Amino acid sequence: MIRKPLVFLLVCFVIFCAHVAVASSSPTDSLRPTLEGVIDVIRDPNLAGVDHKKVRREKVMAIATRGFDFTEMSKRALGAAWRDLSQEERQYFEELFTKLLENAYIGKLEGYSGQEIVYQDERIKGNRAAVATIVKSSDTAPFSVSYVMLQNGSDWLVYDLNIEGVSFLRNYSEQFKSILRKDKFAGLVKILEEKNETFEKEESN
Amino acid sequence: MLSLLLCCSFGCSQKSSAVAFQDTAIEDDEVPVDKMDMLLNDDFFDEGKVAEEIYYDPLEPMNRVFFEFNDKLYYWFLSPLNTAYTAILPWDIRFSIGNFVNNLAAPIRLVNNLLQLKIMDAGVEISRFLINSTLGVFGFGDPAMLEFGLAPREEDFGQTLGYWGVGEGVYLCVPIIGPSNVRDLVGFTADAYTHPMVYYIDELYVSAGYYAGSRVNLLSLNPEVYEDLKKYSLDPYVSMRQVYLEYRRKKIDDNPMQRRSDNEL
Repeated sequence: MIRKPLVFLLVCFVIFCAHVAVASSSPTDSLRPTLEGVIDVIRDPNLAGVDHKKVRREKVMAIATRGFDFTEMSKRALGAAWRDLSQEERQYFEELFTKLLENAYIGKLEGYSGQEIVYQDERIKGNRAAVATIVKSSDTAPFSVSYVMLQNGSDWLVYDLNIEGVSFLRNYSEQFKSILRKDKFAGLVKILEEKNETFEKEESN
Repeated sequence: MLSLLLCCSFGCSQKSSAVAFQDTAIEDDEVPVDKMDMLLNDDFFDEGKVAEEIYYDPLEPMNRVFFEFNDKLYYWFLSPLNTAYTAILPWDIRFSIGNFVNNLAAPIRLVNNLLQLKIMDAGVEISRFLINSTLGVFGFGDPAMLEFGLAPREEDFGQTLGYWGVGEGVYLCVPIIGPSNVRDLVGFTADAYTHPMVYYIDELYVSAGYYAGSRVNLLSLNPEVYEDLKKYSLDPYVSMRQVYLEYRRKKIDDNPMQRRSDNEL
């Protein structure tokens, strides 16, 4: 008599575990298609060159938006200041910040070739996870890149990159903090707008 | 002068380490925190929690002046010089010069590995030096890495001090040298005395010239690092400070205990 409920509990537990395992993919499984998708677009010979720049960037951004959480990035980059912003301000800031990342980093990625990403390890803590990778390339020594991710339904979305111990998000967060202290939110928006303009000017040249 | 700097560093160390450790909550007698878990400790956006300052930069106004000075030095002097240097010497030769400079600095790495009780790594440095000085023809080649897979074990005296618990002290942006802090500047000075150059020709201008030359060569091999930082950042001074602090902390944090746990994963 005593055993039966135990067995029942055990069965429930096993079913529950199996369910959880099926429902959510691992952080690495979420990350892999994003990184591979971006690399495929950049290496695609049909999309290479200046002529295809616009299409290429749109494709990269479409993949990136599925794998990266730009809202979470904006929120964390602003830290405490995020709470004081109105909905419109938040949205506009996210737009500017996303544009900056697009301008700055896709250009950089386009310059790379022959890189190999080795997935090393993953760690889950609550609704957050870290995936450690090593980037091997022919022109530099191998370096470590870790992706910090947030659970979103059954998926995991990247909100921070850590390159050789240096957090990408923390770097922007410190810069924003320093600018906010002097120039407040309006000043920060102005600086972001100007920065994005310089990229666009450079590109039209 | 050196002892004065050391005192200063120890004096500041308490303050800065207190600030630094609040963030990561490492207890002294605890097993070192796993590096990957550290990534998930970045609760700087948690509700109601104001992000802690993890650096100590009371000299910011002065540092910013020197940052500007270095910036001008880079664009007006180093960058044009680098363009000419790159035009004259092909990549292979500059790469070999880089190897030579690295090989000559092996005693620094050896001493600092020993000072941090990293005996195996010290052994690797000795092997590297012997292989590269002979098979690598005076260090111009790096067969130790290419043929034997022995990567250099980068350690300097700043890292050694950090390993033994000396805090960073005040953050400094030093003219010509760049981002540093009291501890690492002491380390930089101490390392100069472990460099064989000093014992061959004991003239300050020769050492300075050698240092300048090696820096220009290094720049020619990684030309885009500084320009990228300027390009991507909204406040390059803050960005560089943050990169320097986090990068140095990571390099100091690689003690053998942690490495072992890395291998087990």
